[in-house]
Amino acid sequence: MAAMAAAGRALRAALPAGLWGRLAPLPGAPRRTAAHFAFQPDPAPREYGQTQKMNLFQSITSALDNALAKDPTAVVFGEDVAFGGVFRCTVGLRDKYGKDRVFNTPLCEQGIVGFGIGIAVTGATAIAEIQFADYIFPAFDQIVNEAAKYRYRSGDLFNCGSLTIRAPWGCVGHGALYHSQSPEAFFAHCPGIKIVIPRSPLQAKGLLLSCIEDKNPCIFFEPKILYRAAVEQVPVEPYNIPLSQAEVLQTGNDVTMVAWGTQVHVIKEVAAMAQEKLGVSCEVIDLRTILPWDTETICKSVAKTGRLLISHEAPLTGGFASEISSTVQEQSNSGLIVVPVFSTVSLLTAW
Amino acid sequence: MRKMLLAALSRLLQGPAAAGRTGAVSEASRVVVASRNYGDFASEATFEIKQCDLHRLEEGPGTTAVMTREEGLHYYKSMQTIRRMELKSDQLYKQKIIRGFCHLYDGQEACCVGIEAAIKPTDHVITAYRAHGFTFTRGVPVREILAELTGRKGGCAKGKGGSMHMYTKNFYGGNGIVGAQVPLGAGIALACKYYDKNEICVALYGDGAANQIFETYNMAALWKLPCIFVCENNRYGMGTSVERAAASTDYYKRGYFIPGLRVDGMDILCVREAVKFAAEYCRSGKGPLVMELQTYRYHGHSMSDPGISYRTREEIQEVRSKSDPITLLKDRMVNNNLASVEELKEIDVAVRKEIEEAAQFATTDPEPPLEELGHHIFFNEPPFEVRGPNQWIKYKSVS
Repeated sequence: MAAMAAAGRALRAALPAGLWGRLAPLPGAPRRTAAHFAFQPDPAPREYGQTQKMNLFQSITSALDNALAKDPTAVVFGEDVAFGGVFRCTVGLRDKYGKDRVFNTPLCEQGIVGFGIGIAVTGATAIAEIQFADYIFPAFDQIVNEAAKYRYRSGDLFNCGSLTIRAPWGCVGHGALYHSQSPEAFFAHCPGIKIVIPRSPLQAKGLLLSCIEDKNPCIFFEPKILYRAAVEQVPVEPYNIPLSQAEVLQTGNDVTMVAWGTQVHVIKEVAAMAQEKLGVSCEVIDLRTILPWDTETICKSVAKTGRLLISHEAPLTGGFASEISSTVQEQSNSGLIVVPVFSTVSLLTAW
Repeated sequence: MRKMLLAALSRLLQGPAAAGRTGAVSEASRVVVASRNYGDFASEATFEIKQCDLHRLEEGPGTTAVMTREEGLHYYKSMQTIRRMELKSDQLYKQKIIRGFCHLYDGQEACCVGIEAAIKPTDHVITAYRAHGFTFTRGVPVREILAELTGRKGGCAKGKGGSMHMYTKNFYGGNGIVGAQVPLGAGIALACKYYDKNEICVALYGDGAANQIFETYNMAALWKLPCIFVCENNRYGMGTSVERAAASTDYYKRGYFIPGLRVDGMDILCVREAVKFAAEYCRSGKGPLVMELQTYRYHGHSMSDPGISYRTREEIQEVRSKSDPITLLKDRMVNNNLASVEELKEIDVAVRKEIEEAAQFATTDPEPPLEELGHHIFFNEPPFEVRGPNQWIKYKSVS
């Protein structure tokens, strides 16, 4: 609720003096019962063949299943993945592909990622799972100092491009300090890796398959609150969604709203409410890939609307919104109109 | 039960002059009025305890332990309080009064009470997230622990820490990240050595964490830090049994160049003697020690883990019936005439009452006010402002 009100207030401040009533749930806007947002599924795609109803963790399992089937060198490992994983993302894979391809590691994140880099350097495909994004920090050195810089420092002789690290990410309501973090900003500071965050099962499967096939080490953050809550029709066959391409979910003329992961659904609701209540047309963009991010789409959109609102779950200071807003401001200084930019953060993430 | 009835019956038959303790219908008991007679108990008893397995040690703790009546009653009360407190937390969690994560300690009470019995209050303890037992033994009253679990003002961390982050003097928590507290423990031990006050640090961790703390062993051994590394081996790291996680399950040997002891963690006297031995070893400047306490937890890893998908109910039942620490202590005391069954029952009743009152406090105490959300981020003389989720919310940070 706080996020909605905040985003709404931001809209009000962004717009010229206009009619403004109290923000209240409206008949046309999607209704929400308990969570701070309502997941809005995308329509079933027709171009990828038969689809099946899946939630987020099932779509991840499907993606991993496709990857293990297609690539005989692919291995999936992490803490507790053998029985299916603490979020059931790897259910059934060990039985299907064998214990030398889907296996548990002992409790050691630095070991997991280091080990994964080693596998990837030999050319095999490594899909590592870090149990929660909050635990990725012991592996931070391995990711930033080893994985990201391997290709560069060896002059392209070696690389660990076939490494993909998956981790549950983001607020879940009861996670507190160590089950709720969104560390994408820490990694965004590092060239050489790619960071991808899906908003839905359909996006997740396509993006994860792209990450696995991408020849750069990728970190794939999965919004844990969506594991069960997000249900969509997802194609059974493998398909790819291109990385580093933001998606414009809804076109508009008055303000550009950018988010990723769970927040996309929040801003979609806000956009609907703004349209009904204020007659404001919002352009809603899902960034999808945090690094390298799609500067062109965002800047083009802001050039059209003149206003930008970015919403993310991580703390504001040094959060990725500051990177987006400073890049957009640079562009605007070079010729576009001056853009008021607002960033908001979901729930009660201060700082 | 039958003995009591028999005694009552015989009392009835013998007339008003005869009254006595349960089970003893004799001439001597006739003069006794129906109240506890302290003179009837022994003041202390000697017990045989299991020998500890040793690694790089010539001799270990002895195989006998002396326990006085007072000590026994104190241990019993502590363990029973922790047991009931954990069961109460389980209940409150299921009622959704406690939210978030809750890792319960029942089954392992002998470890924390035994350690506390062997060290001084000026020594230091640091452990992982299964910390409620240690929080209690280190001096935090039950009501503050339960209030912290429910996230209220009256909690020991002012409601901001929760289950995994409880602290008090000389107890450094309560740490959520697995294994992260062990190097901290070595650091505390370094400070102990530096301040030269003859204090030691007990750094605890679990069998899951035991596979990633080797840097700490190296530093502690290199600098001869007065640190006891205690591995509470409850056989499962979350859902992974030790055989599937560790190349060597002899956790007391994993320090390699650090001497080690393997101790029966369900027997409080065993734990106490071993820790006494270890504390003396460290205090004498010989360096660190690794200790493995073989123990067991009845609950799952946390409240979201039923605890039966990776182990059988029979296994849990077996441990409960054969090695429960509280039952072991109770049997010892009763069989060696250190206490009576009724006396221990009275302690049970008193403990239950205390826990009920504490739970009452924990559910009715108010939550910390929203203004305090930004407090204690930094240490800052003038208060500064912290941005909230958006530009219009600001929290003041006071520290």
